[in-house]
Amino acid sequence: MAGNNNNPNKPKLRDGGRRISGRGDDELRPMSIEVGPMVRPEGSAIVNWGRNKVLAAVYGPREVFPKHLTDPHKALINARYIMAPFSGQEEHGRAGPNRRSIEVSKVIKHVFENNVLVHSFPKTTVDLMLEVLQSDGGTRVSAINAASVALVDAGIPIRDIVSAVSVGKADGKMVVDLDKDEDNWGESDMPLAFSVRTGEMLLFQMDGMLTIEELSTGIDLGFEAAKKVRAIQTDALVRKYAIPGESAQ
Amino acid sequence: MESVDFNENGEQAPAGRVQREPGRIVLPGEMVADRPTDMEGCFVAAGRTYVGVISLLREGKVIPLKGHYLPTPGDYVVGIVTEERFSGYNIDLHSAYEGTFSTRDVREEFKVGEVISAKILDVNEVNEATLGEPRKFSGGQLLEVDFVKVPRIIGRGGSMLEMIRSYTGTDLFIGKNGRIYMRGGNTALATLAILKIDREAHVQGLTDRLKEFLEVESKRA
Repeated sequence: MAGNNNNPNKPKLRDGGRRISGRGDDELRPMSIEVGPMVRPEGSAIVNWGRNKVLAAVYGPREVFPKHLTDPHKALINARYIMAPFSGQEEHGRAGPNRRSIEVSKVIKHVFENNVLVHSFPKTTVDLMLEVLQSDGGTRVSAINAASVALVDAGIPIRDIVSAVSVGKADGKMVVDLDKDEDNWGESDMPLAFSVRTGEMLLFQMDGMLTIEELSTGIDLGFEAAKKVRAIQTDALVRKYAIPGESAQ
Repeated sequence: MESVDFNENGEQAPAGRVQREPGRIVLPGEMVADRPTDMEGCFVAAGRTYVGVISLLREGKVIPLKGHYLPTPGDYVVGIVTEERFSGYNIDLHSAYEGTFSTRDVREEFKVGEVISAKILDVNEVNEATLGEPRKFSGGQLLEVDFVKVPRIIGRGGSMLEMIRSYTGTDLFIGKNGRIYMRGGNTALATLAILKIDREAHVQGLTDRLKEFLEVESKRA
């Protein structure tokens, strides 16, 4: 709930000119990625970002089911973002898709439709299974980062590694990588996903109010932060696929 | 049982290796040529070539480390019969795409679940394969690896395959789709050897290490 500033329960988001977590305005929470924690899917990754923990598994390309959805010209991308019932500080109710997770699944599907080389695998589907095991604000961007690494692990041809980050306005300042309190009580938040190589934006959503200047600062901050995310993704993949006797990068 | 070798891609000299530049891991989105080229696992954008799948870039060549088999005419593959239809058979090819036999061309009868080898005669615009030259396998074992490792399992001129064959006495048929059929001899050792190649496919000096491995392990048996 962005912009809810009159609520007496609203926690302080900044103290002494700094964010309450002590981070700088353009600083990310500590992030680590493990490539290939699972053996059954074609590719998998787990992202630990601050207190977020998201597991991504990639299946396919495989036959489309139900069959009538098949596209003879390209592969379909199917994303399934699910928050575990035990993932948050509040109750998430029963397991399975709900109104919110269906929306998040849809936007993630569109991110990867523009990233996977779908024309090289007509008539098939690539399934992205994204499970939020623990959440603390920014789970959809964590899921995108995990899915992107899992796609590389699966050997599915993509245009670029997608790097996503959330940006927002918390107590009057534009900051990157919002945590749960900044996300819930800040004035505005926007999840962004970029292809760092081309500078293309693959996801742009916004909640709350921003001026045009704030929006443009936010996107710049987001792109710089995405470059840092990209470096962590690259590092995780190179570590997994390192070949003795060959130089890493 | 005679075997067919697919060695046109077998790279790296087996003996008397020359010192060469170390390769480098390239990730999707990295540029590998500033002009359009047709390389495996790559795509062209704005007149440049980029890698699409995680690969090893060595001496200007892009060697994919992961991949998904696409039926290609002329390939010999190992398939599993999945369905019997009025007009023929559907064959699973360890790929997102199926192959088919038509009863018009193939008189032999198959049962669902049978393992066969076949040649891909033709592939249509949605990658479905028409198969020919079927041969049934009975007994033996089946092993699946990523199809990008197949050239390494065969080795230059079939050297790696010949080495496994001579140490284990196993007959091997290697399908280009990454399925390996084995029969007779020490199949357990042959499996271990193939899995070793799969794991260490691009580590230098694999031929020597595999020879040593087979030497030690075959004496133990």
